[in-house]
Amino acid sequence: MKTNYLFPHRFKKIGWIILIPTLIIGIAFFGAEPEFLDFRIFTLLNDYIVLDAEGTRWFSVNNLFDEIIGILLIVSSMLVAFSEENEEDEFITNLRLKSLTRSVYINYGILLFSMFTVFGLGFFFIAVFNIFTFLLIFISIFNFNLWKSKKSLSHEE
Amino acid sequence: MKNNIKIERARHDMTQADLAEKAQVSRQTINAMEAGKYVPSTLLSLKLAKIFKVEISELFQLEKKDWK
Repeated sequence: MKTNYLFPHRFKKIGWIILIPTLIIGIAFFGAEPEFLDFRIFTLLNDYIVLDAEGTRWFSVNNLFDEIIGILLIVSSMLVAFSEENEEDEFITNLRLKSLTRSVYINYGILLFSMFTVFGLGFFFIAVFNIFTFLLIFISIFNFNLWKSKKSLSHEE
Repeated sequence: MKNNIKIERARHDMTQADLAEKAQVSRQTINAMEAGKYVPSTLLSLKLAKIFKVEISELFQLEKKDWK
């Protein structure tokens, strides 16, 4: 009966430990391509055919910096977003659902707004950021709501 | 929906934390229910009625606006 598809509580801390430094490094070194991360890797789809990029049909030369940051960001935000709270009960689950709904509206609201105000490469960047902002927006809203409900406790007794 | 959780809690001389522990929920849940900000599940309602040794209808009452 108790299937909530959430990770155990301890994963939240692990998520934060990975998320914060990754976010800082990702922003500070945005667009960086350190040489030691240049690799020839297996590829399902690449620019080889259309853009004549380096590589062949199944292999391409790529700098893995953005891939590593991207993977760490997604995994760590998933852990922070979807780990159980210390006392995960029905009220917290309700709060989680409300926050999730709100973050879908906000995230797609930003995307919709950008669709008719940002064009070209700028829109491409927004679309890429949008992949990460969804989870980050959810984390912010959910934790703000949690904080608010905890804060209202101090007015009691 | 109205509820008498706060009254029953006072009658049994319980703090929010006591009740939360007995009902196996967080203190926020008790606080939100008392403030009318959260309607509990049937399961939690039954647990609360059992803790206070009252009928569920004594603890929770429908209001007119619930029918809209």
